[in-house]
Amino acid sequence: MFKRLRVSPEPKKIGPDPGEISISQLIGDAGLPVTLKALNSLPQNPKLRLYRTLIPIQVLAEFDINPRTWKNPDKLQQVKLEAESGSDKVKITAWHGDDPKNEFFYLELADNPYNGIDLNFLIANNPASRKYRTDFDDEGRETLFGTVRRNLVEEEKAMQAGLAPGQVREGLRCSSIVFNHIETFLTMMAHHAFFLEPLTYVSAWIFEKRGFAYSKGHQLMDTIHKEFQPGGELHKALDGSTPFRQPDQWRTVRGRAWAIHDGILQVLDRKWDDLRMIKQVGRHAGVVTFPDAEY
Amino acid sequence: MSERFQITRAAELASLSVFRQFISDCCAKFRVPDGTVFELKLAVDEACTNIIEHGYKGMDPGSIILSFRIESDRILVQITDFGHVFEPAEAPKPDIEAALEDRPLGGMGLFLIYKTMDNIDYQTSEDGNILTFTKYIKRETNP
Repeated sequence: MFKRLRVSPEPKKIGPDPGEISISQLIGDAGLPVTLKALNSLPQNPKLRLYRTLIPIQVLAEFDINPRTWKNPDKLQQVKLEAESGSDKVKITAWHGDDPKNEFFYLELADNPYNGIDLNFLIANNPASRKYRTDFDDEGRETLFGTVRRNLVEEEKAMQAGLAPGQVREGLRCSSIVFNHIETFLTMMAHHAFFLEPLTYVSAWIFEKRGFAYSKGHQLMDTIHKEFQPGGELHKALDGSTPFRQPDQWRTVRGRAWAIHDGILQVLDRKWDDLRMIKQVGRHAGVVTFPDAEY
Repeated sequence: MSERFQITRAAELASLSVFRQFISDCCAKFRVPDGTVFELKLAVDEACTNIIEHGYKGMDPGSIILSFRIESDRILVQITDFGHVFEPAEAPKPDIEAALEDRPLGGMGLFLIYKTMDNIDYQTSEDGNILTFTKYIKRETNP
């Protein structure tokens, strides 16, 4: 064992961190990673051309949105790009109809401190499906995906309807193709990977299927699987004490996710926190922490 | 001929036996000589132990991706992790001349890897730390 190795406390930055970039720089060295902050310093049109690749045309086609103009047949704008100069984030929102609040797609990418890219949010909901108000509590305050407050009545209905924690509607089932687009975009920008924090157990399971590995939390996922087996501490804690802790929930990804959302990890003196996943461009990590899982 | 296999497990000591078995199974498929199998398992064991004990120190452990590629005359083993960076070139060389009682515990892992593998490459970037060993296969020839 390498007992005397020098271990750096933080990954080293490996690329330059330009504040802004010109067109000539962008076409000058194709191997140099480009930050979002640098891209955001471009004029609006080249910026739009580049970021347009992030939203799959198949998703837009579902809603009759022109992938070039981002308008519907009634010439109404249906997609918004937020990538202001000086910002290190890009946000793309798409909605259906004339109300921008009726969004079905939200993607947010951001530079991280190590010249990498974080996927902060990916939300893709079917706007035609029923909405469950799990995002607001009964006093009208935001729950932030049920992380700071909970609307138990709506959550129970959402769970019974087959939704996962954090969802307000059925998903669009397009994460695979969205990740392909993100990887294509990142390859264009000479990045090799992107990172995210899975909000729920369901998210982590889906991201495993999409080829992500863990930079933090793989052991926790293994522990969760082990302890949900008959005889395990989490299995025992599925005692029917709340609607989210019913005895059979250990069998499915969603069942486990709702129990974890309900705080069941406390019996292990753990919580769902600080997991971090990484997707290497072009590589499937093959992580399976819940073998033969039923969704 | 080039075939590739891969396994990913959490960076914990319990995974070491899984990694060793993975190397054994891959080598068995291609009738790799026993001596080479032993050296590969030793190198993988030492490198993964280092990642588990140092790379992911102070954090909830992430993944180790172990891949095995075999070509006509060599085997390439690649170990990817996402923990802290370490610099193999900066590791102090163990004093193998010193008396046993004077040697510190540990510190032999990298030495063993350098001793048994034909080439070692270590790269670190935003997408993880990648350690690659190359071992040339010396097949026994029939007289």
